[in-house]
Amino acid sequence: MSDIPTGSISIEDLENVQITIGKVVGAIEKKASDEGIEVGPTPKPGISTLRDWDYKLLSRYQPVYTPVCDQCCYCTFGKCDLSGNKEGACGINMEGHQAREFMLRVITGAAAHAGHGRHLLHHLIHLHGRDHPIDVGPSNLLAPNIQAVTGIKPETIGDLEEVMDYVEEQLTQLLATVHAGQEGSAMDFESKALHGGMLDHVGMEVSDIVQISCMGMPKSDPEAPLAEIGMGCIDSTKPVLLVIGHNVAGVTNIIDYLNDHDLSDKVELAGLCCTAIDMTRYQMDKGGKPYAKIVGSLAKELKMIRSGVPDVIVVDEQCVRADVLAESKKLSIPVITTNEKIMYGLPNRTNSSPESIIEDLSSGREAGALILDYDLLAEVSTELTIKMSKIRDEMGIKALPNEEELREIAARCVQCGACEMDCPDNLPIMAAMKAGAEGDFTKFEYLHDKCIACGRCDQACPKEIPILNIMEKASQKLIREEKGYMRAGRGQISDPEIREEGVNLVFGTTPGIIAMVGCSNYPDGTKDLYTVADEMLKRNYIVLMSGCSAMDLGMYKDEYGQTLYEKYPSKFLAGNLINVGSCVSNAHITGAAIKVAAIFAQRQVAGNYEEIADYITNRIGAVGVAWGAYSQKASSIATGCNRLGIPVVVGPHGSKYRKALIGKPYDEDTWKVYDARDGSEMPIPPSPEFLLTTADTIEELLPMLAKNCIRPSDGNLGRMIKLTHYIEMSQKYLGQMPDDWYKFVRGETDLPIAKREELLKILEKDYGWEIDWKRKKIISGPAMKLDISSQPTNVKRLCKEGC
Amino acid sequence: MAVDTTRNTQIYTTWGRKTAKPVKPDVAGKMISKAKRPLMVVGSGIVGDETLTEKTIIIAKKGIPVAATGHSMIVFNGMDVDAKYINVHALAHYLGDAKWKGLDNQGPYDTIFFLGHKKYYLEQVLSGLKNFTDLKTISIERHFMQNATLSFGNLRTEVHLEALDEFIENL
Repeated sequence: MSDIPTGSISIEDLENVQITIGKVVGAIEKKASDEGIEVGPTPKPGISTLRDWDYKLLSRYQPVYTPVCDQCCYCTFGKCDLSGNKEGACGINMEGHQAREFMLRVITGAAAHAGHGRHLLHHLIHLHGRDHPIDVGPSNLLAPNIQAVTGIKPETIGDLEEVMDYVEEQLTQLLATVHAGQEGSAMDFESKALHGGMLDHVGMEVSDIVQISCMGMPKSDPEAPLAEIGMGCIDSTKPVLLVIGHNVAGVTNIIDYLNDHDLSDKVELAGLCCTAIDMTRYQMDKGGKPYAKIVGSLAKELKMIRSGVPDVIVVDEQCVRADVLAESKKLSIPVITTNEKIMYGLPNRTNSSPESIIEDLSSGREAGALILDYDLLAEVSTELTIKMSKIRDEMGIKALPNEEELREIAARCVQCGACEMDCPDNLPIMAAMKAGAEGDFTKFEYLHDKCIACGRCDQACPKEIPILNIMEKASQKLIREEKGYMRAGRGQISDPEIREEGVNLVFGTTPGIIAMVGCSNYPDGTKDLYTVADEMLKRNYIVLMSGCSAMDLGMYKDEYGQTLYEKYPSKFLAGNLINVGSCVSNAHITGAAIKVAAIFAQRQVAGNYEEIADYITNRIGAVGVAWGAYSQKASSIATGCNRLGIPVVVGPHGSKYRKALIGKPYDEDTWKVYDARDGSEMPIPPSPEFLLTTADTIEELLPMLAKNCIRPSDGNLGRMIKLTHYIEMSQKYLGQMPDDWYKFVRGETDLPIAKREELLKILEKDYGWEIDWKRKKIISGPAMKLDISSQPTNVKRLCKEGC
Repeated sequence: MAVDTTRNTQIYTTWGRKTAKPVKPDVAGKMISKAKRPLMVVGSGIVGDETLTEKTIIIAKKGIPVAATGHSMIVFNGMDVDAKYINVHALAHYLGDAKWKGLDNQGPYDTIFFLGHKKYYLEQVLSGLKNFTDLKTISIERHFMQNATLSFGNLRTEVHLEALDEFIENL
């Protein structure tokens, strides 16, 4: 049966007959077998397949629930008050409900990425055919997440259909568990959440490798070009077409149209969110300079619309404000929706002529249109932008108040405090308003970077003061200066890069990978990202960026006017700064960890998730940071990292995800693993201390990052380097030696050289360790010994036979 | 004159039906004084605010152990107070564990009070403590904290500082 190949077959003597075989049952498995690829014990795992692994993680990292709501309103039994961990009418208690709520966020995020992936796959198979090869750069391991989870080694984009079938089936099964009643165990909901997170990385990987393969995006390219970013880099003297969202499929047609019609220097194409990132990757695999410009992250969305600069707005999916149409209408900006996920109640004009759509939208008869045909979209959006630019100029559209009006508006404020109370960050708006009424708007400038532009203050104001507009007008000078560079997303980490760097990561001589991912709900402005990345890069960590964080990082420059993307190289080496790409490129971060296990350690990948995760947990010092995490997708990305044992810190707003996974360093029983050489138990240091937690400020975050890169497998040089950074950053940011530094010392060679004698004295005096001062050696004291050949594992079955 | 910290308990969204009781500074101060094992949990919000830092250190100098969360530890170094750094999310986890012996290994705490935190962040921490522990929690922040057992109401900055003075007088 599986000898029949997939693809198209013509039958002799039967004219005009062609049989297309899409999927052959067992074909991929047979192909794997023919190629000598072993498939591990868990290809395409179901909900319960990796449950034992999850329970191992959850026994060390226990769920900590911080409910956002004490009630459950899922069914008509309720709503039920679950406060105090009470049970509701269906029998679920607060813990179970919180775990369920978290899982729902995770699978929502995973569905967003998977839906995106499926859409791209349909679209690109339609354009290029199922047999189009996957080409992501100089790698044999093309799809590490896909292979580790499903056992499938995809070679063509058609092979990805079966992967998506699996992800979609599992997501449906997970969603079914949300139904009232049923699961009562919080721990099993946690396991299900981890399953959903794992699926998310598979869905993201499909999305990105299919677009890299078909859209000419950079392929593991450390020299990916720099793209302009910032509201200040938009040339508003030209007609401005603004695209917002995450799915670049339709935008590629717009770029082609602009090029084909020699309009690329006549129309300004600007983007917000991940669509912006991906349009700067489009057709950049052969070099060149991205034509499109990036405005920034979600936090710039409302500000950009209210600036009145866009002449037409095109939206696709995911992180797009629900009020884009309503806001745009006020400024006569037509909106075109291009994806079934967002239609805003607009008429479907997919089958209309371009002329009629342009006429209806430019005349104001319709505020916008739904267009699902991308060739039509390209023509309409471009020509409409050119037309609207003139019309809006003639109309004299005035978006923001002038200075005199500003003062009058500010004077309407009655200092009631409603805006501050509703502001997610409780920003000091009242004081800015008071100063504004007296003609001083500098306080609004101060708020500009801290404000995430959610617009809740506007809604709260009983005097209907357009607070966001005041802030934007008052910050015009700052906004004009918002110009930077972001390196276009380079995609996967290649196999040769892993071969070169894997050993340094496992033994710790490269102190760790800091992956700064996620959205723009920052607690204290965007500059914090720059500070964190710069500190870690100076200390030789590999810093990986993606999504909104990758964009916001490019907005800041050092004293020499350089962004970090210009300052640091972007190979997968210590001290390098890499932008993997958009949200869906996050799969390359977990993919890199999987590749270290597969390529450096020669672990079998296909269908062998638990062993790979176990390897990563004990050996790869990687920590994720989602400092501005707000979305469901951020929770699914983080949870997918967690199932691989990669810890993630979110900013303080992340506490509203309702749960964390935090270990107890004082509970020594939980900090033990097996030594796979003989199955004996070995103590390990309490790091990572958590799988998911929050930090209050970046000053707290930085030492946390250093500490939580420590792993049992560190060699003495690696541990010394990691410990040096942990101690130094604690002293720099908290003003003290950390309380627990000694727990990571296995012998004198783990101690920072410059401080060795001083630290030996402390170990002797404060902790009673025995020191041989002649040889400056530790005689006794450490809870664990340095044994470079030990094989730490959490999984008993991976110990040698007979153990 | 006594500061009334109980008037404005306005909230912008709600966690549910269980809401903190508004408390006056003198009552809160006396409750802390009577507690067997109080703990002051301080957030990074005091860093850079000289007046608030000064008052926080005065409280700590009354012999009350301090959980210095975020990067608030920076203000306690060298101040001869019993302060230790801990992440506030981890602290919330450990506070609910009967096996945890506290920051000083002296046993569990019975009354926890909070100062210098981001409002939304502390509400989440308090939500965890409210739902999964029996601990008494008191917020002496500038904003009303619905999820505490007792909380000051929403206060203007200057009134908050006066309230803290009165709280200190009653310790």
